[in-house]
Amino acid sequence: MLSSLQIEMLIAAIVLFFLILSSLRKNRMSVRNSIVWLLLPVVFMLIALLLEPLSSLAHSLGFEIFSNFIFVIVIGSLILVCFYLTIAVSKQQDQIKKLIQEVSLLKKKKK
Amino acid sequence: MRQPLVIQCDILEDMSEPKVLIIVPAYNEEKTISSVCSEIAASGYDFVVVNDGSSDSTPKILDDLKIPHIDLISNLGIGGAIQTGYKYARYNDYDIAVQLDADGQHSVSCVRDIIQPIIDNKSDFVIGSRFIDKKSSSFHSTKLRRAGIYLISFIILLFSGKRIYDVTSGFRAANKKVIEHFAEDYPPEYPEPVSEFDLMRHGYKILEVPVKMHERKGGKSSIRSWKNGYYVINVIISLFLIKLRRHKKDA
Repeated sequence: MLSSLQIEMLIAAIVLFFLILSSLRKNRMSVRNSIVWLLLPVVFMLIALLLEPLSSLAHSLGFEIFSNFIFVIVIGSLILVCFYLTIAVSKQQDQIKKLIQEVSLLKKKKK
Repeated sequence: MRQPLVIQCDILEDMSEPKVLIIVPAYNEEKTISSVCSEIAASGYDFVVVNDGSSDSTPKILDDLKIPHIDLISNLGIGGAIQTGYKYARYNDYDIAVQLDADGQHSVSCVRDIIQPIIDNKSDFVIGSRFIDKKSSSFHSTKLRRAGIYLISFIILLFSGKRIYDVTSGFRAANKKVIEHFAEDYPPEYPEPVSEFDLMRHGYKILEVPVKMHERKGGKSSIRSWKNGYYVINVIISLFLIKLRRHKKDA
């Protein structure tokens, strides 16, 4: 029998998964960038399915309340996503800089 | 530090008549740009103004007076603007590129002084310094600013064993190798001290020569955050990162 927490986590995982899938289908997100987001429903799914071993792990790690352990995992995953996004933004900044420079130089040549 | 093997080919590289380009980065410099440009034009050097998306009448002045210039289609900041100048120098096959500020701080009459060591093959990169010879310069900036410059200078000394006094000077000259290097790789933020340390790490020879500098006649320093030390902290972090990175000495 699944506990209510397990059911909630499974529903969250499924909703998130379909959200990502529909964005991919409509080309609003590239496959490359979706990988890091697909990590989240996988994490949710694992929490739901491995509740028993995880709660004993949480206790041995010193978490008094199991939900705190879940918060830590989810916040950790979100920090990873943010980190990945910052890297992507920095790369794009560099690409945009090159683009602005080259276009400006080309415009100068044309004059 | 291992010294790179330098084979000099004076016959191949005829530097008696080098092609010199003066790069003038300009961001909202309507008050000074025309006088600075007419001074450069009178000196006979090739020059190009890089207009970094100015929002005042700078682009109009550049167009009206037919001053050679590149209009960046969007604001890039000082690093990106200067790098555009270096890219222009590379595309047009210049031997020496000189950076000169549009706010009237630097004297065109000193350009000869900072390119001479490159012509003589004594140096790859020359910094025009207001601190080496105190008598020749009327501009010494505030105490706090000088403290910041001293700290950055000290850290570069610590990391490289070489002292640069005027680390934030925007009056600098680069030879062809350095033009090539900067066109590929130039720090977007806090470019002066960071690029100098980066050049040292790559084994380029850097020289500092005294120049005259004036108070700026208009416009603002690209270093706006001196007071809270933000600039200094950022530069120190950038220097640390360059120190941490492993570099091939390709000079």
